[in-house]
Amino acid sequence: MPDQSHVGRKYSAPGQVIDPARAKGMAQAIAGESAAFEADEVPPTFAAVYCLAPTFAQLFTDAEVGINLAGLIHGEQTFEWPAAAQPGDTVDATARIESVEDKRGMTFVTLAVEAVRRADGAVVCRGRSMMIVRGGAQ
Amino acid sequence: MSSLAGKTVAVGDAIEPLTRRVTQAQINAYAEASGDVNPIHVDEDFARSVGLPGTIAHGLLEMGILAEAVSRWAGGGSRLLGLECRFSKPLRAGDAITCTGKVVAVDEAGGVASLEVDAVSDRGERVLTNGRARVRLSG
Repeated sequence: MPDQSHVGRKYSAPGQVIDPARAKGMAQAIAGESAAFEADEVPPTFAAVYCLAPTFAQLFTDAEVGINLAGLIHGEQTFEWPAAAQPGDTVDATARIESVEDKRGMTFVTLAVEAVRRADGAVVCRGRSMMIVRGGAQ
Repeated sequence: MSSLAGKTVAVGDAIEPLTRRVTQAQINAYAEASGDVNPIHVDEDFARSVGLPGTIAHGLLEMGILAEAVSRWAGGGSRLLGLECRFSKPLRAGDAITCTGKVVAVDEAGGVASLEVDAVSDRGERVLTNGRARVRLSG
């Protein structure tokens, strides 16, 4: 189970390429064929793919932290997009365990995430994810 | 005067509410698009086995619909500078989500509008709470 000793652990997923077809696929999965997102635009929450997924995959398989995926739910999410990611960008994504708290029989794990575009060093996404591991604390 | 796509933006302005029924088919499509294939979203029996009432939408799919609602008002997703929310209640497959928002601050000098945003389900549950969005204004 996650505990205080895991605070500060960092997971790096360098070289995430923002695939235009996948970005478009997510826009369609969210909004259907409606024109909410422009055709050549990366939908803001595509950060789930280039920033959260590749770093969280490492957390979820970190045997020393030992998160029980069956009880895992997403509690809160904060995103900032200082620069808009563009199709074809290559970004380096990181996630760091910022805090672990036991409350009401559950464990709250908060991660600070960031994705930086290689071409110019611009931060295309910065955020915080709070994940709840149910049945965590005894 | 702060504006967006030719419209004046002022504190108290509301965005056009966006309602969408989130079917299991949409959840499956989002699972494929995002790569998040956690069975609580796509496997009814599994979802029930971990104490859920059935399959539920990905929180980030709900947040994506919230981002869509704000992006429609703002004139494109690239105007969205920030978005945050709490996933307070699960949205069950087949339920409709309605996203709303209103402008709570306008930073004329910085060219940024701040909005309070949230979402309710057609069960009357507040599924997304404590929501905030920041939007880049034009000219």
